[in-house]
Amino acid sequence: MLSLGPIIFGLILGLLIGSQLKLNVRDTHFTLGAFIIILIAGIIVAWQSGNFPFYTDLPLSTAFLSALIGIFVGKLIFARSK
Amino acid sequence: MSQGSVILKLVSLPISIILICLGIMTILGGHITPGGGFQGGAMIASGIILSILVYGIGNSPLELSHTYIEVLESVGALGFVIFGLIGLFVGGFFLYNVGADLLNVVPQSIQSVLHYPDVTNAGIIPYLNIFVGLKVFVGLSSIVIAFAGFKKLTEEGE
Repeated sequence: MLSLGPIIFGLILGLLIGSQLKLNVRDTHFTLGAFIIILIAGIIVAWQSGNFPFYTDLPLSTAFLSALIGIFVGKLIFARSK
Repeated sequence: MSQGSVILKLVSLPISIILICLGIMTILGGHITPGGGFQGGAMIASGIILSILVYGIGNSPLELSHTYIEVLESVGALGFVIFGLIGLFVGGFFLYNVGADLLNVVPQSIQSVLHYPDVTNAGIIPYLNIFVGLKVFVGLSSIVIAFAGFKKLTEEGE
């Protein structure tokens, strides 16, 4: 059975922090491709973390992945540019 | 304040995001694994601090506003106290675990509302971890933001 706790609260915490992500940095430019790379790297980290914290529902860390998705969604929905 | 290297500026935001996710993972696994609210909050704050140190205080992609810090700090402290008071009024002790209810004194409706949705019978411990994590994350971040702001003010004054 899928444990909903880490998924829901990871998403909420990710949304909270992602809402403060602003990408109008002066010297660098982060494109959509950069975020796809970050997502792929995040999936690899979640996979290597294993089924943390000891839930045997999925072979990857659901809390990590939902937090990552939450940050991206929070950036897309709530974050305003400077 | 900010470092000049382009490579540093390219890699620090992805590393910050990964650090923040690891911090959230640590908070959410705090009731059955080593770690918890304080450690996870410190990890999230380390992501914010890395971003502020590399990009500078006025130019950081992960910069917390004053209102945001104020609201999260208050929610963290108030949430902890409110969960304690729920335990006091429903179970008879301050911070009584109404979600797990070891003494069988809590009505089933309240217990099912405050039960953390996972396979362990953790009750309200994960919620307390989340509140502590929020408070530590904004607390440690605000210290560094304040120091960086003071330094910037001093540099501008000279």
